[in-house]
Amino acid sequence: MTKGAVIPKKGTTEKAILDFIKEAWEKNCFDSLLIPVEIPSGDSYTYLLIQDPSLIENASPLPPITSVQGARAISSITRKGKVTKRIAAIMRPCEIKAGMELHKLEQADLENVVLISVDCPGALPLSDYVPDSKTGKEKFLKVLKEWGGESVRPVCKTCLHFGAELGDLHIAILGDENSIYLIPNSDKGKEMLRSLGISAEENLPGWDTKISEIKKKKEENKKKSEEQLESEVLGLDRLLETFSKCIGCHNCMRACPICYCASCYFDSDNTEHDGTDYVDRAENKGALKFPCDTLFFHLGRMSHMSLSCLGCGSCEDACPMSIPVAQLFSFVGQKNQELFGYFPGMDKEEKVPLVVYKEKEFEEFEDSH
Amino acid sequence: MAKVLKINKGVEEGVKEVLKFLLENERVKGVFTLRKTGKNGAVTYALIKDPSEIDNCVPLYPLMPINAAKSLSTLTLREPLSESLALFVRPCELRAFVELVKLQQGSLENMLILSSTCGGVYPLKMAVTNNTDRNLEKYWTSLRAIETPSDIRPTCKGCEHFLPYNSDMTLVSIGKDIDKSCHVVLNTKKAEESLRGIEEEISDGELAAEDMESLRKRRISEREKLFSDLKTEDFGLDGLIDLHGKCIGCHGCSSVCPICYCRLCFFDSEVNEPGFSSYEGEMRKRGGIRVPPKTIFYHLGRLSHVGISCVGCGSCSDVCPVNIPLSTIFLKIGNAIQGTYGYLPGKDLDEKIPLQTFEEEELAKFEQ
Repeated sequence: MTKGAVIPKKGTTEKAILDFIKEAWEKNCFDSLLIPVEIPSGDSYTYLLIQDPSLIENASPLPPITSVQGARAISSITRKGKVTKRIAAIMRPCEIKAGMELHKLEQADLENVVLISVDCPGALPLSDYVPDSKTGKEKFLKVLKEWGGESVRPVCKTCLHFGAELGDLHIAILGDENSIYLIPNSDKGKEMLRSLGISAEENLPGWDTKISEIKKKKEENKKKSEEQLESEVLGLDRLLETFSKCIGCHNCMRACPICYCASCYFDSDNTEHDGTDYVDRAENKGALKFPCDTLFFHLGRMSHMSLSCLGCGSCEDACPMSIPVAQLFSFVGQKNQELFGYFPGMDKEEKVPLVVYKEKEFEEFEDSH
Repeated sequence: MAKVLKINKGVEEGVKEVLKFLLENERVKGVFTLRKTGKNGAVTYALIKDPSEIDNCVPLYPLMPINAAKSLSTLTLREPLSESLALFVRPCELRAFVELVKLQQGSLENMLILSSTCGGVYPLKMAVTNNTDRNLEKYWTSLRAIETPSDIRPTCKGCEHFLPYNSDMTLVSIGKDIDKSCHVVLNTKKAEESLRGIEEEISDGELAAEDMESLRKRRISEREKLFSDLKTEDFGLDGLIDLHGKCIGCHGCSSVCPICYCRLCFFDSEVNEPGFSSYEGEMRKRGGIRVPPKTIFYHLGRLSHVGISCVGCGSCSDVCPVNIPLSTIFLKIGNAIQGTYGYLPGKDLDEKIPLQTFEEEELAKFEQ
């Protein structure tokens, strides 16, 4: 059974989370805070890194959308130069997981960062929320109440890590209506609660039950949507059809928290050819689509990042052609991850399989000739 | 007086007949135009070698999946084409490619250029919801009435350069008889030569200047409305923040922009990466800082890099996942920059881009 601390709410869930954060800040548990804040125009959110505690008043620890994936924010802050402040970061579980992957890939430095995750009801698609944020806010209230529903992004409907104990400290908001629960998940998290004089020894059966109920529902969603996806994308012809609308903008790659390369192979002059090469290819096939090699890009990107793919959905949010790229990538990603027995973002110490060498591995895939 | 080819077919079929004639009679070795493929009917550009593939082409389909200039640059970046190619592209795509050629990112050699009077294109979002086909009838009705179709991209509605510059052939796709007859104005000897032996009537003629002039006037007033609605004059920093605050930093606007040709953008380079000390400095000054930072710097920087060559094609707006009206901003500011230098991008291949020329005495009025 999960153990944690039960903190009574005074007001809304968001307020309860912020009250706890404020108290931790006052008691010097960290120096600055990374947290989502609504932008002045009111139709989106951004991450803010703040050291002035009064700025916390506008913060939204449970934003209805993910605009920039939080791991990208963590990487931007910690990748270059010594991090001399203790930073607390509040994010969705999939953002925390991506942050852990970037740490392993040496694109983020979590040494001075306390990662705080919150139970996640899912996020609305950017394309739904931004044009009409008023309706979006109403929709999200319903999502929070029903914990899911039809208006969240497809990958959120099938996400099983919405309440995972991740990072250093997890804030559970699903347990009961009158409290939030604090569940430490690392020495840093335990230390934070200890310095606040909070004991995390209470059993949380209510939360465990809720999580497993919702998980069961999501597992059913997942099974159904995977069957649907397989029928749509399996085989080269269907795959080509799926990506036939791709215009090669590479938004998916740039929104992806794992695709960290400053200059992608697929944007490099390695993918530049003589004019006659294109003409010859057109000659062989009768016609050559432009931009060409779009499927090569997607499969290449998939092979580069799928072991670390968390199914966060940012790629799909950024795709101007609404290609189900997150659904596809997380589906294939999870299959690859299972093969290696690797679960990205769960354990900071576990190495990414591509940096581990085993002499004997996957012999069943070897060519017997 | 120019020569005009007349085909007794609607324009969509007529242009395909021309392209097929060129390819079958080996006047060109390939054709570059829009083609419809697959079960979901995705419309993309294609380089076509097999004449039977022309049947799948939709040269006048009102959609710009990408600005063709980008693909033409891919095709000719390393070397000019070694065999002749007929291309059918929209006027703004041609203008963008002319800019790229000036910027040494491509070559027009061995290209036979076909373009048309342009009725504009629908936003990509319409293709996503598969609604373009449903709107086609409405689109062509508007073009027959010499009107601007509703729901086309905002910058298309306000585009006055819908007559192509630098095309060898100009297809008349706006006018009352376009469903019955296809008129192609042959602007160059090269065009006339390429159609030698075609079994269709070629006679003296010109574009219906009056109709085009009246459409141009309406487009200009539409553009003025578009520009004044944007209200950049009263912006200040708050206005800029309101407009760009929702940017997610995907830089899709830069990657689809035909003018943004750099392989590695300054704004994606390590030079522009903040580092923790600059975060610390900003927090000290302002209490807090947006992460990732420098959103407006990126957009203004890109504007200063491409504004002089911006043709207002609208691709940037099309790919923005959060609907920032980028193409309107870029066209408005771009027009102002271009006006200052008296430069119209993509019109004259021999005129250098102002940034490539140096004049000792220039724009003195801006000096302090």
